[in-house]
Amino acid sequence: MAAVLVRRAGSLTGAARGRVPAELPRDFPAERVALVDLLDRVLAEGVVVTGEITLSIADVDLVTVSLRALLASVSTLNRQEGR
Amino acid sequence: MTHPIRRRLDAGDDPQAAERGLASLVLTIVELLRELMERQALRRVEEGTVTDEQAERLGCTLMRLDERMNELVEEFGLEREDLNLDLGPLGTLLPKE
Amino acid sequence: MTHEGVWVYAIADHAGGDVFLPAGVAGTLVRAMTAGGLTVLASNVDLAEFGEAALRRNLENLAWLEEVARAHHDVVHAAAGLFPVLPARFATVYHGDASMAAAFAERGDQLRGALARVGGRMEWGVKVYALPIERGAEQVATRSAEPGAGMAYLKRRQSEISAKRQSSRTAVASAREVHVGLSGHAASTRLYPPQAPALSGTKDPMLLNAAYLLDAGGAARFASVVAEAAAAHPDLRLDLTGPWPPYSFAGQEA
Repeated sequence: MAAVLVRRAGSLTGAARGRVPAELPRDFPAERVALVDLLDRVLAEGVVVTGEITLSIADVDLVTVSLRALLASVSTLNRQEGR
Repeated sequence: MTHPIRRRLDAGDDPQAAERGLASLVLTIVELLRELMERQALRRVEEGTVTDEQAERLGCTLMRLDERMNELVEEFGLEREDLNLDLGPLGTLLPKE
Repeated sequence: MTHEGVWVYAIADHAGGDVFLPAGVAGTLVRAMTAGGLTVLASNVDLAEFGEAALRRNLENLAWLEEVARAHHDVVHAAAGLFPVLPARFATVYHGDASMAAAFAERGDQLRGALARVGGRMEWGVKVYALPIERGAEQVATRSAEPGAGMAYLKRRQSEISAKRQSSRTAVASAREVHVGLSGHAASTRLYPPQAPALSGTKDPMLLNAAYLLDAGGAARFASVVAEAAAAHPDLRLDLTGPWPPYSFAGQEA
């Protein structure tokens, strides 16, 4: 199997190759997507290739944020917004 | 709106928030029951299966329940809308593609 | 010695040569390798954290899920900016390069077909919310003792409920209209369930949560179509996100 060298990207502008790349901050790319929107997409059923670990996302109780904690933070959130 | 989900977790560390959360959970259930009762009463009135007197009594009871909910909600520093169980039904009306 | 697994990010249409990609899940290095005539972007991961039992546990931990999903997305997103990709299903893990290669070899034609169908396009998301209805007159102050108060209350609730039902129907119809309009500008679309208010972070009910696959260069036009739709429907709020790697369109054809 041929391997292609992958270097950690060094800058947002994808600067010159050969430059020693710096460690990327977790926030790269600059615009941070909303987690809910990301989870909609990555947790959807679309299967490309089943891994050896055949974990059907639907089988796992995902995002089991307890109702209690969820409601607690809705109230907190509202308070923070000055409602 | 940034990170509504992370806030969920952070709030979990706060015992006061947890208490409010418990209160809103309980009140949400109470509100659900109140709404169900109200809808059932309205249906009966519409169907004409209750007398005017019964309807008046039902209405008064429901009105008092509604007022009491406002009081309870205020006591816990919540708002009525927080108890809204309307999950936005509407996804099911849109065709799957 | 850690028991190593392979976490797959995406399949790419990439002939070779160096690529710049951010670190992957758990800070691992992302490798590009060929398997079944395809280029696969993957990382070596510790099965103690990414093995089946561990995944079942970890996927229920929202903090873990967030970190891993974002790391996964950062890689897929960066790759999509470089060449056409077909995102792998989240949490696609193999016990080693050999079994990964075998799986991809077996599905090579199918995957190449899927990659070709997506054709380097990116997706954009549109969420449509119903704007809050103006509330009617405030509830009459406590006058429970008044004669006929009960009946009046019932009448008031009845009209409030039917008004709400009516505006709800109108909003749904509007959202459907918006979706049909936007679909005309997309190569493909996919609907997601509306997000519950507790997760969407807003109390306005979500009426539509859709992904649209756009041809290259179609983003600007699509954005203006979305703006037009928003202007045409003052009872709705439209929220455009993107570009996304084509997560919603990587699945197999029905």
